[in-house]
Amino acid sequence: MSDYTIIGKRMPRVDSRAKVMGKAKFTADLKLPGMLVGKIKRSPYAHAKILNINTSKAMALPGVKAVVTGKDTEGIKWGVFAYTRDQEFIQTQKVRYIGDEVAGVAAVDEETAIKALDLIEVTYEELPAVFDPMAAMASQTELIHEDFPDNINIHVNIDTGHVDENFKKAHYIREDTFVASEESYFQAEPYAIAARFDHEDCLEVWMPNGGPHMKAKPLSNAFKIPLHKVKVRKIAIGGAFGGRSEICPVDYICALLAKKTKQPVKIEFTREENTIATRQGHSMITTHKTGVDKDGRVLARETTCYMDGGAYSSTGPIATSVPFLSMEQAYRMGSVRYNGYRIYTNKPIRGMIRTHGRGFACGLDTQLDMIAENLGIDPVEIRLKNSRQSGEYTSTKSYVDSCAMDETILKAVEKSGFKEKWGKLPPFHGIGIGTNSVQTGFPMGIRGGSQSFIKFNEDGEATVMSGVVDNGQGNDNMLVQIAAEELGLLPEDIHLVSADTETTSSDPGSYSQVSTFVGGQAVKNAAANCREKLFKVASKILKVAPETLAAANRMIFVKNDPEKSIPIRKVVRISLLNFTSVNAEGGYWPRVDMKREWVSNPYGQMCEAFSFGTTIVEVKVDPDTGQVEVMEVTAAQDVGYALNPLVLEGQFEGSIAMGGQGGMLTEYHEWKDGRCINTTMLDYKLPLACDMPPKINNIIVESIDPKGPYGAKEAGMSIAMSAAQGYSSAVSNAIGVYMDSFPLTPDKILAAIKEKKQ
Amino acid sequence: MEKIQITLNINDKSCEVMVYENDTLLEVLRDKLDLTGSKESCGEGACGSCTVHMDGKPVRSCLTLAMEAQGVKITTVEGLANGDELSDLQQSFIDHGAVQCGFCTPGMLMSADALLKENPRPDDKTIRKALAGNICRCTGYTKIVEAVAHAGNPKDHCLDCKSAK
Repeated sequence: MSDYTIIGKRMPRVDSRAKVMGKAKFTADLKLPGMLVGKIKRSPYAHAKILNINTSKAMALPGVKAVVTGKDTEGIKWGVFAYTRDQEFIQTQKVRYIGDEVAGVAAVDEETAIKALDLIEVTYEELPAVFDPMAAMASQTELIHEDFPDNINIHVNIDTGHVDENFKKAHYIREDTFVASEESYFQAEPYAIAARFDHEDCLEVWMPNGGPHMKAKPLSNAFKIPLHKVKVRKIAIGGAFGGRSEICPVDYICALLAKKTKQPVKIEFTREENTIATRQGHSMITTHKTGVDKDGRVLARETTCYMDGGAYSSTGPIATSVPFLSMEQAYRMGSVRYNGYRIYTNKPIRGMIRTHGRGFACGLDTQLDMIAENLGIDPVEIRLKNSRQSGEYTSTKSYVDSCAMDETILKAVEKSGFKEKWGKLPPFHGIGIGTNSVQTGFPMGIRGGSQSFIKFNEDGEATVMSGVVDNGQGNDNMLVQIAAEELGLLPEDIHLVSADTETTSSDPGSYSQVSTFVGGQAVKNAAANCREKLFKVASKILKVAPETLAAANRMIFVKNDPEKSIPIRKVVRISLLNFTSVNAEGGYWPRVDMKREWVSNPYGQMCEAFSFGTTIVEVKVDPDTGQVEVMEVTAAQDVGYALNPLVLEGQFEGSIAMGGQGGMLTEYHEWKDGRCINTTMLDYKLPLACDMPPKINNIIVESIDPKGPYGAKEAGMSIAMSAAQGYSSAVSNAIGVYMDSFPLTPDKILAAIKEKKQ
Repeated sequence: MEKIQITLNINDKSCEVMVYENDTLLEVLRDKLDLTGSKESCGEGACGSCTVHMDGKPVRSCLTLAMEAQGVKITTVEGLANGDELSDLQQSFIDHGAVQCGFCTPGMLMSADALLKENPRPDDKTIRKALAGNICRCTGYTKIVEAVAHAGNPKDHCLDCKSAK
């Protein structure tokens, strides 16, 4: 594995130079000739009928170019799945949360657009609202969506059978309930979109996205124009973390305003809008009942989870399943029954987030710690007894090929000194462990694969086209590294054209941890095909068989006789003189079970590879203030193969900040009657540089997945989850109370300490 | 409201610009002068993405009125490099993997640059304190702190300093 020239190296990212110079353009930086400013009129009520909308005063305001309402949308509804199409792009009948879209305005400047919003008169009839999922299910008042009884949006039921009989065989059974509040993405870049219809009536759009092709298709459907007429353009993206994958009403509204005015329109979200009107993380109430044998092996588990889904479905079926899937991948279970309910409430829409299911996972791990204590074994031992092993099937029948879960546990334990510290630390000083697993992709039907095109230019440099998008995690660099390695070029010789739906083929997007595994693999295959063409030409010149050739550092050479070589540039030119261009395509489609469906058939091969990780955290708790001081974090993840350790470490460290430091200590939303009251960066407590633990140990574990590119899997999410579990376990260990409400804020910690004293 | 003509000295260039009295420096930089390197993330002085220098001191341009920025030397992220030649700090950010999505990077660089001019060899704690007003959602700050610590300090070279000058 060490004979790669570019892969596996600590390569600084190709996109960094433009970013440190302030040259990288984000959507809000765009200026198009004649561009108007768009703004959204939002509902002030959590649940209300729309009786009338009068836009005449707004239209009459000088500088206003267009006002759109639900009447202009032809009643089109959005939903990720055919059975979840419950959201109109602009509401016509009623509003379902504070912030729901009721109208859009385009004007010559921001001030005029804001004035126009105030001039739009909406008459509402307020309806009783529900803000709590349990209350929503029991509510006798008007349903949030009339087709969904008891306000239950999604019910996922998974049952392996034998659960009840295995509980009877159990040596020890526990049932515990855990709650967690909503969290938010707080991407550095507030959401923004620019749209215009060009001279060929093509819709051209720029926006931060988790997959340009996933934005293009719904826009093509909504405007009833062919897919090739929707051009989602590449633009720098200031973070996504799972929250920018699907289309949102503002995408449609901005394009509609552009269509109506025949001018470009840009809408920039305020920070509040980014918090309220994109997506949030689900709050959840999870009950785990677990039965183990006398050694601590899980024989049976029954988990019931109620998720507050907010006003619309969004990625509901996926969101209702993923917290369970992460845990069934991480741990073996003799049998399991899962009932996940996603409940509609009159709150902002919840979607997928990097830390989705933190309360679910922390609960499950906390309960394992409780069981271990009862059995007199330590937290490491009980995890090793139940940890996923290579060559097994998950409870929902996904084959797990590469798996180094145990290695991540053992290496993290060794590095952190867990065995020496656990149970031996002074009062209010604790250490804890969390383990997790993440999938690389979901079955996505015809959109599950990625395809890449490569062309050589006459100067011997190459242009690589790929639908993969970079949200900030380094996907562009990953593609360039792979292409350069395969083609024998240097990274600076690769020109990447990506994330543009006009010039690239369909790609599943970056939000299901699939970019490297699928998109990276597609580039690798395309580059290998291209190299084959080069070798064919070079073999004639060098008078050797193509199989004996290799390429590196812009040269093609004979493997056993490297002196015998020819510059790639020369091979390209000779090929062109011989009437043959040098280009190729290549793709990758993961072999998943296409019959697997989130609700109707949640069994079968989910994806081709899973990543596994462990985080160990050491903390001190101040018993007088409830403040947690994190002293050291050790994160180990089986990433398959480290394509770029420098980038990987950045993912680990960022994951610890988002999942652990923020996700488990400070990040949560507060509410008053359905209104989120901490929407800004002043009020929502994101970790700062001075908050972070002074010592972070990154441990990269490689299991070389047989299907991943060079053996690589996933690295963006697993640590974010195991860090949350490690943090919660460490705090519980420090105060001697198993915490069941997340995040672990000082008030909860103080209350637990007080209760324990009494 | 009447527009007023003011002169701003930005990145060693004199710029005459028509502004409203309530225009922020950030609005003028981004909307009128096409200097979009400075970013708006929170718009209320919490995140530091809009940080620029006024006479070498880091200020939040979203909370500074353009009128207040007259008669001082303003430096934005676009003024850190000498033409195409990056500053040691910029190069160090690249080499240490301190840039992910890059949205907070301009503000982070401006805060760090001001720190290094005052204290060329800051320790870890000093760096974290100086950057406490700049929010990064991607990196967890480790690599940013490393990049600042190693910028222009060739004696402290680490594994990732190799491509630094």
